[in-house]
Amino acid sequence: MFKYLRLRPEPDRRDPLANIPITQLVGDASLPVTLKALNSLPENPKLRLYRTLLPLQVLAAFDINPRTWQNPEKQIQVRLQADEGSEKVKISAWFGQNPENEFFYLELADNPYGGIDLNFLIASDPHSPKFNTDFDEQGRETLFGTVHRNRAEEERAMHAGLAPGQTRAGLRCSQIIFTHVETFLTLLAHHALTLEPMTYASAWIFERRGFAYARGHQLMDIIHREFQPGGALHKALDGSSPFRQPEQWQTVRGRAWAIHDGILETIERKWDNLKMIKQVGRQAGVNTCPNTLF
Amino acid sequence: MNIQDIQKNGVTVVQFSGSIDALTAPAITEHLGGLISSGQIRLVVDLGGVDFTSSAGLRLLLGAVKDARAGGGDLRLAAVQPDVMKVLKISGFTNILKLFENVDDAVASFG
Amino acid sequence: MSQRFQITRAAELESLQMFRDFIAECCAHHNIPNEIVFELKLAVDEACTNIIQHGYKGMDPGSIVLAFRIEPDRILVQITDFGHAFEPASAPAPDLNAALEDRELGGLGLFLIYQTMDNIDYQASQDGNTLTFTKYYRP
Repeated sequence: MFKYLRLRPEPDRRDPLANIPITQLVGDASLPVTLKALNSLPENPKLRLYRTLLPLQVLAAFDINPRTWQNPEKQIQVRLQADEGSEKVKISAWFGQNPENEFFYLELADNPYGGIDLNFLIASDPHSPKFNTDFDEQGRETLFGTVHRNRAEEERAMHAGLAPGQTRAGLRCSQIIFTHVETFLTLLAHHALTLEPMTYASAWIFERRGFAYARGHQLMDIIHREFQPGGALHKALDGSSPFRQPEQWQTVRGRAWAIHDGILETIERKWDNLKMIKQVGRQAGVNTCPNTLF
Repeated sequence: MNIQDIQKNGVTVVQFSGSIDALTAPAITEHLGGLISSGQIRLVVDLGGVDFTSSAGLRLLLGAVKDARAGGGDLRLAAVQPDVMKVLKISGFTNILKLFENVDDAVASFG
Repeated sequence: MSQRFQITRAAELESLQMFRDFIAECCAHHNIPNEIVFELKLAVDEACTNIIQHGYKGMDPGSIVLAFRIEPDRILVQITDFGHAFEPASAPAPDLNAALEDRELGGLGLFLIYQTMDNIDYQASQDGNTLTFTKYYRP
């Protein structure tokens, strides 16, 4: 293909910031910048900043160039949605030809208190079997099993080792993702990231990532206590459904499926109103499920 | 927190052991309230086994001593440990409550 | 030499004993005088009780993060919560000379913190409310 290689002549030097108004970023560096402000930037500086949200190791694992977001075949594998006027940023990466085949999806949003919420985070292994827990038998979206449920598919997913809300096995890279998100928050001078854990299993993971609870720490303690032998939730694992088998109290995943199945009704509680917060640069060190395997 | 009553010469000696905080205080408040409302208003609280109290303990003692005195009795403290004594002193409670080195002296003080 | 300790527990009264035990345990390894350990336990207990009873009132209780740093001549304490903000300065100090009948119930908790601790500061924000204080001591 090549007869010989030669050194490329040095490229023309150009001021990279020429013609790019970055008025939103030239103010006091200690004041937080909202996503909405960031979204009002021209495309290129916006892209430069949001690029930091994607963990390099994750991209490398799928042969995606972190600068161009292309695979070796020069196909774009990453999509950024950060429209002007919007208070959100959505970033997704996929493997192969089909953008629906996401292995990474992250959605951040400005919240009404001047902070930033993590709305969604999905990091799943595209090579692992897919379970259609996101659509019920009639083809309706289940919204992670919150509105409708596909029980047969959920049961298969549970036996394959998945947690509720998952359609595929995880990529096991949440640590590195949060490092990137936190670095990004620091760049914007934000102090914290908040989220609502969708399941008991995800709350457990966020605890390990240094989150504390703004709401629901006591509920997590109660759940752990009641799943111990003699507790009300332990007793409610009576085999009355595939998601309420006696041994499930022993694992976070098992408990999460039972909670997904509505077992908290036994103690007149619901899985709602939980809010978790990660203060930038600080590990809260919460562990509401001591001596419990995932 | 353990609570135990002993009768001595017409005086009710209430023994606590453990820590008094906002969690344990309500049970003690209820216990003392029960004694006072049943007419046992000559009270000695033996704090020999109490190693910690927060303001929750001060508040309950204040409430109980008011009630006991209102009925013509009193609530007196015995065997206060150094740390608890510090809290009583800082908050000025040593001027309100009568304190005794031991339970016998406190009981005898009722005459 | 300084060493940092941290414990995060739910904002419920059952956690008070855990916070006090944690302080005692950490101080035991650093030969902190007993009276200093007691005052720390007292101030932290009062602050946390306030958060539990007022800060998270009407909410599904979240966390209290207790962090402290032991230095050769002082201990720095930081207590963080995510409930309603409160303002220590707005609580009136109890009148210690008032006659028994005139004494208000309550108000004593903050008074005890102010009497036993130094450099008390409080910052409230959406990212968490933080009470900090320092205790100087002679080793």
